[in-house]
Amino acid sequence: MFRAWFAAVLLLAGTLPAAAQTPREIIAAADRVRNPGQPFRTTNTLTEYVGGKQKDQDQIVVYSKEDPATRQFRNVVRYVEPPRDAGKIALLDGKSLWFYDPASKASVRISPQQRLIGQASIGDVLTVNFVVDYAGTLLGNETISDAERQKRDCWHLDLKAVSDTATYDRIEYWIEHGSFHPIKAKFYADSGRLMKILYYRGYQERLGTLRPSEAVIIDAVDSTLVTTISFGDLRFQDVPEAWFQRDYLPRLRAE
Amino acid sequence: MRARVALLSVMLVSGPAFAGNEDNDLDLIPQAAQTAPAAVSAATLGRRNDLVNALSFSIPNQNLTVPLPPPQPASWEDRLFLDSRDEWRLGDGLTVTYSGRFNLRAENDIPFPNHEVVRNELREAYVSWQPAEGIWLDLGRVNVKSGVAAGYNPTDFFRTRAVVEPLTADPSVLREDRLGTLMALGQYVWAGGSITAAFAPRVTLPTALYTNLNLPSFDPMLDRTNAADRMLLKASATVATGFSPELLLYHEGNRTEIGSDLTISIGQSAIGYVEWAGGVQNSLIDDALRYGRQTGSIPARAPAPLLFDSGRMSRNDLSVGLSYTTATKITFNLEYHYHQAGLSSRDWDNWFTAAARRGGIPGVDPALWYIRAYAQDQQDPISQHTGFVRADWTDAFITDLELTALASVDLQDGSGVAQATADYFLSRAWTVGGLASFTFGGRRSDFGSLPQAAGVLVRLIRYL
Repeated sequence: MFRAWFAAVLLLAGTLPAAAQTPREIIAAADRVRNPGQPFRTTNTLTEYVGGKQKDQDQIVVYSKEDPATRQFRNVVRYVEPPRDAGKIALLDGKSLWFYDPASKASVRISPQQRLIGQASIGDVLTVNFVVDYAGTLLGNETISDAERQKRDCWHLDLKAVSDTATYDRIEYWIEHGSFHPIKAKFYADSGRLMKILYYRGYQERLGTLRPSEAVIIDAVDSTLVTTISFGDLRFQDVPEAWFQRDYLPRLRAE
Repeated sequence: MRARVALLSVMLVSGPAFAGNEDNDLDLIPQAAQTAPAAVSAATLGRRNDLVNALSFSIPNQNLTVPLPPPQPASWEDRLFLDSRDEWRLGDGLTVTYSGRFNLRAENDIPFPNHEVVRNELREAYVSWQPAEGIWLDLGRVNVKSGVAAGYNPTDFFRTRAVVEPLTADPSVLREDRLGTLMALGQYVWAGGSITAAFAPRVTLPTALYTNLNLPSFDPMLDRTNAADRMLLKASATVATGFSPELLLYHEGNRTEIGSDLTISIGQSAIGYVEWAGGVQNSLIDDALRYGRQTGSIPARAPAPLLFDSGRMSRNDLSVGLSYTTATKITFNLEYHYHQAGLSSRDWDNWFTAAARRGGIPGVDPALWYIRAYAQDQQDPISQHTGFVRADWTDAFITDLELTALASVDLQDGSGVAQATADYFLSRAWTVGGLASFTFGGRRSDFGSLPQAAGVLVRLIRYL
């Protein structure tokens, strides 16, 4: 009996990282890996595969800044490619979501559900500070393969939405012990349906620390759809508060 | 035994290396996506050129209640146009913007060759100067768009007469090809809101309404946009998170209007919006007949062709609606439009009665139709009460297929127009699409009495 308990304790101890962390601390540390601590911009190249073959390639520029009040990132997303979408702009600021089309010179307010349509949503979801919108529970420790099929010892967390600005109701999240590198996430709708599976990969030294340079998103509803996102040209950039006014959108110029 | 259960429990909680199923997800990543593909070369920033060919056919209404004076609508039309938007930076804070559409067109009622075959629409050409962060001064032809509704924007004061040869009944597309107004505009945008002031001078006299047979080839048509001094002042402020109402003050000639719009997020899937403008003004019929006489389209001393309310009074325009997006990527807009200056049920009755009783008198039928052409030129609903519904489905059935359906219904007589559009994005450079529309309603109804019963259009777009 004693030996069985001793074995169990040893086993448990062997799977835990050296320093105890609360789920909240783990999620916050992983947020800091994904998002620099000051305003930044990145050029995301999104490549869509259907049935294993490359179909579309889009490019968006994401200007991102943390709201000091909500501690959530606000994004202005400018479409670069394909040509039919070039110049369109999405303002994604909590509940204030607007879409500007230079063809009609009109800004249209969109709902949180509507922001999930189109590629801007991907850029938006990727900057979410999960620690703000979700409460995490540690399910345990797992060794899983990352996108490059390398084994990673991870915390396996269950995140439940606690904010009405949260895009998904629930997220399963795997974060590597020690480095706090996000490895994988699964996103679930209110109905409990698995919507997306996301892998982070290509960790590189960027803006002072190792950060993922790519993400792979598998559409769980239609698993023949896979999108890769390459985070290019990541750099700090001042994003004035005025950029989050809808009347600023027609003024946003490409650089 | 209990020891084994306890050990198993611990293992399930801690889960070391028991997550083999998780690795199965990696098998869903195609081989081609194992390495990052080369990035596309980004389009030249701020520049867009689309080459479009649109071939349309019109089916006439065979049971026309009131005879239509010439010219008759074209039965077919083919339009090849280059739609361009470009921007140049001249220096620190100084940019020049151009937007226009160069058309080559052929239709059954335009002889070839003819200057009507070639047309250029100068939508925008202006210089913009940014002297400080958040401040801009624009000078030139600028397209200023206001409002939040999808089907009718009472606060979009610069919409009048600005749409040239529309290819669709979709209001959101109509805005893509409308002329800007020659103006000086100043704007300040700060963290809590924005304020805009614009002055558009009168540079020419009002002119008669255009038909498809007398459109100029290269004239900028400032008579459409700058035939009166016009001023606009608008401001918006973020009152609370996600709540930024906009207030507008507009003056033109002897007319002053105030307006407002606001939007509100309702849950995760819906947006509610309301847009209102009001001021002392004439009825639509009165305005149309005055304009017709002023521009010589209606004889100056000709009596009014029908009875109507001729008083100047405070009148309101309202657009209230809801947009709702489903999990399957369909966005619905449902709106109610109120245009107090428009035709009431009694006005419609007078319109049809005048045609029936006095249509034989020279000039009566043309004057009656002129009222309707004027309303269309002004981009106003012709009736007082209109319902509007629009559905847009992204990735409908298959990826890259977009379907749009809309209907505008005169709530006074139940007549309306319905339109369905399909666009398939063949590649990053090509889109093919089609459109079909039809009107419905009785012979003595708003839409049922229109000269066009149905229409189809096919188009091919090449993004350059």
